[in-house]
Amino acid sequence: MVGLPYDFMANPLGAVRLTFEKAMAAAEASGSDPANFDGKDWGVADLFRQFLFDNGGLSQVPVLNSTNFKRVQPNTLVRFRGMIQDMLGNELYVGVYKEGPNWRTNKFMDVSQFPMGSRPDMRVWERRLLYCVPVPGQNSWVEPSSEAVINCYRNGTSQQREKRQRDDNTATDPMELHVSDDEFQGSSSNKKLREGELPFESSKAQDFVSESACSSVSMVPTFDKDSLPCLVKIYDSPESDLKLNDVFEFVGVFTFDPELVVKDDTDEFSDLCDDVLANLPPSKVPRLHCLIHRKLAVHDFISNSPVMEVKPHLVKQIRESVLGHLTAVLGNDGLAAHFMLLHLLSRVNGRVDTLAVGKLSLNLTCFNKESVSVFGNQLTLAIMNLLPFTHRIPLTVDYLNSASLAPKKDYQLNRLVTGVLQLAEGSHLTIDETQLKAGTLNSVGVENARLLKNLMQLQKVEYDFKYYKMEMAADVQLLILSEGKSNILPADLVLPFQPSSVDSTEPVATEALEAWRWYLVTLRLLPNSIDPELQKVIEDDLVAARQADRTLSSQDFSRLLTMGRLMSLSYGETSLSLEHWQMVKELERLRRERLK
Amino acid sequence: MKDLDFAGDKAFAKDFLSNFADAFGEAKYIKIFQEVANRKSRAIQIELEDLFNYKDVDEDFLRRVTENTRRYIGIFADAIDELMPEPTEAFLDDDHDILMTQRSEEGTENVDGADPRQKMPPEIKRFYEVYIRASSKERPFTIREVKASYIGQLVRISGIVTRCSDVKPLMQVAVYTCEDCGFEIYQEVTARVFMPLFECPSTRCQTNRTKGNIILQLRASKFLKFQEAKIQELAEHVPKGHIPRTMTVHLRGELTRKVAPGDVVELSGIFLPIPYTGFRAMRAGLVADTYLEAMSVTHFKKKYEEYELRRDEEEQIARLAEDGDIYNKLARSLAPEIFGHEDVKKALLLLLVGAPHRKLKDGMKIRGDLHICLMGDPGVAKSQLLKHIINVAPRGVYTTGRGSSGVGLTAAVQKDPVTNEMVLEGGALVLADMGICAIDEFDKMEDSDRTAIHEVMEQQTVSIAKAGITTSLNARTAVLAAANPAWGRYDLRRTPAENINLPPALLSRFDLLWLILDRADMDSDLEMARHVVYVHKNKESPALGFTPLEPSILRAYISAARRISPCVPKELEEYIASAYSGIRQEEAKSSSPHSYTTVRTLLSILRISAALARLRFSETVAQSDVDEALRLMQMSKFSLYSDDRQKSGLDAISDIYSILRDEAARSNRMDLSYAHALNWISRKGYSEAQLKECLEEYAALNVWQIHPNTFDIRFIDA
Repeated sequence: MVGLPYDFMANPLGAVRLTFEKAMAAAEASGSDPANFDGKDWGVADLFRQFLFDNGGLSQVPVLNSTNFKRVQPNTLVRFRGMIQDMLGNELYVGVYKEGPNWRTNKFMDVSQFPMGSRPDMRVWERRLLYCVPVPGQNSWVEPSSEAVINCYRNGTSQQREKRQRDDNTATDPMELHVSDDEFQGSSSNKKLREGELPFESSKAQDFVSESACSSVSMVPTFDKDSLPCLVKIYDSPESDLKLNDVFEFVGVFTFDPELVVKDDTDEFSDLCDDVLANLPPSKVPRLHCLIHRKLAVHDFISNSPVMEVKPHLVKQIRESVLGHLTAVLGNDGLAAHFMLLHLLSRVNGRVDTLAVGKLSLNLTCFNKESVSVFGNQLTLAIMNLLPFTHRIPLTVDYLNSASLAPKKDYQLNRLVTGVLQLAEGSHLTIDETQLKAGTLNSVGVENARLLKNLMQLQKVEYDFKYYKMEMAADVQLLILSEGKSNILPADLVLPFQPSSVDSTEPVATEALEAWRWYLVTLRLLPNSIDPELQKVIEDDLVAARQADRTLSSQDFSRLLTMGRLMSLSYGETSLSLEHWQMVKELERLRRERLK
Repeated sequence: MKDLDFAGDKAFAKDFLSNFADAFGEAKYIKIFQEVANRKSRAIQIELEDLFNYKDVDEDFLRRVTENTRRYIGIFADAIDELMPEPTEAFLDDDHDILMTQRSEEGTENVDGADPRQKMPPEIKRFYEVYIRASSKERPFTIREVKASYIGQLVRISGIVTRCSDVKPLMQVAVYTCEDCGFEIYQEVTARVFMPLFECPSTRCQTNRTKGNIILQLRASKFLKFQEAKIQELAEHVPKGHIPRTMTVHLRGELTRKVAPGDVVELSGIFLPIPYTGFRAMRAGLVADTYLEAMSVTHFKKKYEEYELRRDEEEQIARLAEDGDIYNKLARSLAPEIFGHEDVKKALLLLLVGAPHRKLKDGMKIRGDLHICLMGDPGVAKSQLLKHIINVAPRGVYTTGRGSSGVGLTAAVQKDPVTNEMVLEGGALVLADMGICAIDEFDKMEDSDRTAIHEVMEQQTVSIAKAGITTSLNARTAVLAAANPAWGRYDLRRTPAENINLPPALLSRFDLLWLILDRADMDSDLEMARHVVYVHKNKESPALGFTPLEPSILRAYISAARRISPCVPKELEEYIASAYSGIRQEEAKSSSPHSYTTVRTLLSILRISAALARLRFSETVAQSDVDEALRLMQMSKFSLYSDDRQKSGLDAISDIYSILRDEAARSNRMDLSYAHALNWISRKGYSEAQLKECLEEYAALNVWQIHPNTFDIRFIDA
């Protein structure tokens, strides 16, 4: 990295400027217009890609979180991992403008470096605003240990410190930075800040209201105080790349400009002229001008796991140990452990018409107050330790009547207010129905019950846009604990839970836990196929089963096939074998026996 | 250079406005100007399409108008100023006019008219508004497609209105008077905010250095009605995994109060940026909000009757109509993902098409809407069918019997919490007026609620006599109900009447009652197993073997068909009458009738036949229509009949034989034409293949002779 005129970490905008000037020179030589750069990259992305991925710079880039974002220097390179919760539409900005004889760019900046009025020589470009939040339900072990973050952060800043020592020492506090930095505005800006505090406070309060409204029951960890939302500004990438509820890692320029907090008094003119950003004060929501983004799959969150190849004997070994662990957790109920393993491996791997292929929701019945407090908690804990994103909903009449499960568009704020069911792909949701008592559902309750049922059957959540509803595809593993078979939430699999012993589970070794996590997230992504010969066997088996039992429906067929696929996946195999099919049939037989 | 250009363009605009002739050869815009001059209207809409059709328009001018619309509105307005004729009718002077006369009188006396601030801006004189309307030829944009590069251009977009502000006055020209010199000073306001003047800029005050105090004259200033609205993308335009975008729309003058939240509209307007003002602009001349300055507002039409066909749709419909197999093709395209059930789909297609309403001379109305009840075992995709039909219909309401009370279906009287007045709120059936109301779980409805539907189904009105309000609301809707049999599953050991378990009064109101039973059948089981395995293996549905028509084409075809009102020719009357009496007799003979045949049944036959004729775009009902209607009625209970036959020990072949023999005996003839025979057996729910088999089998037994070419039948009298 020696010899470069800019520092990627501390001064990414320098790199942007330099490449721009280079590209401009090239463009002028060939006589093309700077407007041609609209929506195009002039080599910045490649430069950073090389720095981050080829030269291993990614690990040096600090990850933005609630503890460090107040200390991170503005205009430095940071990264942010989160789920796209809302899309705020496009923002227009002056992309390039002429400063004297030279063209300059404002790309990747909030504020122009030079004061500028409107001038003829400018081009308006657009960027997309995404409102991102940390992945809902993220378990504590997923975060890279806080020590590492701080170290990483220190490394990052110490370098900056050396260079910036002369500039100011108070730079760690953005508010002070603002005061000391803006000498040209003198005391008037200070006064303005005072004035600005009022709207800022009120918008904070507003945020608080919406927060408490959306998570009226505190069981939802979506918006706890530690989570940090981030406003990501996306340049140049096609719209189809980034979708709602996708989990991404954004690497970009962190900007923080407390002055933009000051509200303009023009807003009073109209009740509709609501600036979206006014509700998202930069002091709470940092801005990130995204240079590079990459989609994260669940396995990217298993950070410090051993990278292993899928070797049959190894997989089989881990499978046995996971199964053993689950059996212990489930009080020696081996059958339930088998089904639980299949359930934890399931994911939606295709959608045909209204059918979500590959989902396998599980309903463990025969719980009562006592057993749920023992096994339910044990199970929840185990799942939390195994999967990165988990949720637990205690289903009560009050909860159904008051919770807002579906995300809702708030036209006053012009924001999508999140709901419990706005979950990232591959999340796990446990619904505890044992606490449900007889009671009356109001219209919200009926709607919520319907939403849960839809999620269960179709893996879709209806987002409420008031004038119409939009169905968003979801991929959530659903586990229901109930006393009897749940009729509100018809799961794919219903299994009476029969624990035989209550032994407290021993603490699990970290290595084993890591191996299990790796096993669960890796194997579920494996492809799987069915051979034509076996297909014939399966078809005949299914027809025979239906001839014997008229109540079997196509859903049952579908479930059996899903189980077959998951069974062979659990052995790390990519095509269904007869042996595994027989195992599935045997499991199904045992399950039916229990149901009797 | 540029100014010169504009002068030329103004001349051209003038030429266009005074010479453009509409389809009747009249000068369209001059006529509008006269109306405006007479104060009959305020809005002058210049259609871009007219400009396009104008004889000597050049491409360049058109492009300039679309890309710099705001400037050109000014140019057109200047041109109109010069073209504005004198009013031909007397009208009452309002304040504005009196002020204007005064001003013009003063203007002549005024010596320092050279002061630009004191020159009257043309806006204050204008009593009209100019809009340029985008061409409606192309597909409108979605909000997503309007990019930064469209700034300043005329665009046409569609969306749903989500918020509307109150209508407020917006100052267009501020008028001040000076306390010292007494002059009127004008200030044009072009932005949302403006800096008021504080000093008199007139030459007299300036030379005297009096710094004349000036006062804003609200009465003399010109205001414009102004409303702000937000529109949002329509659900169907949002790509998967994205959320709808919104856009701010400014509505001015005559365009205000045209939209309300929830309206689906098509707007043409100019896409403009709002530069940030004040402090924020100083810091960041960077970002700008955008809005759409509306030029025209069109509401989307949803009813069949108002459905306007696009040209390509018309062609496609014409092509479809030529194709003989349209009935099957359309029916198959309904819910293509649901396997089989072809006859049910045919019935649903007819429900969508409906028959014309008849109004007799004595004021009696006969409904044209078809009502269908689907009854069947759980899991035979009834609900999916219902939901699909609602999606295809331009106006459809889906509700469940459990979820809606009697008032929820018909209408409720409610007390307005603010005014304490009683207001009528229409229920699902009223909301579905001129459309389709799908009621799922019909059997789970309370009996008392179900009776509310009786009136709707036959009289097509909802009568209310509550809380001092007596009225009846129109509910001209086709009812599509889905129900489970009495014991959840159809019990073959019980009689059909026991299984259906709906009161005859209600049952007779349905034109078709369709029984869909889930039968144990090796073939269908294998079919199902194959389907499921295929889906799991390939992650897609097996190919359908045909390409279903798009719902939009389906909708267009049906709307075209609904414009025809076929009538029954005289010669068919006898045929229908005999068919009806045949059914009645059969029912009388049977110990456990499957249906309640009443006069309503006769009307049903007529309705179904008329709907079939509509599908063929024919003005008269043909015999084939009646036969198909009878066949559908028969098929609807086919699963029961086939069971009966099994009980009576007759196989299909011998049943066909007995049908034909009875028919021949009834008409006292020894020969039967093949077409006639086919009619008869298809009415009973048999296929042509079965008929052929029967003919061959019995011909071999020498019961009858078959004509080798025409297959006509001649009985051999033993």
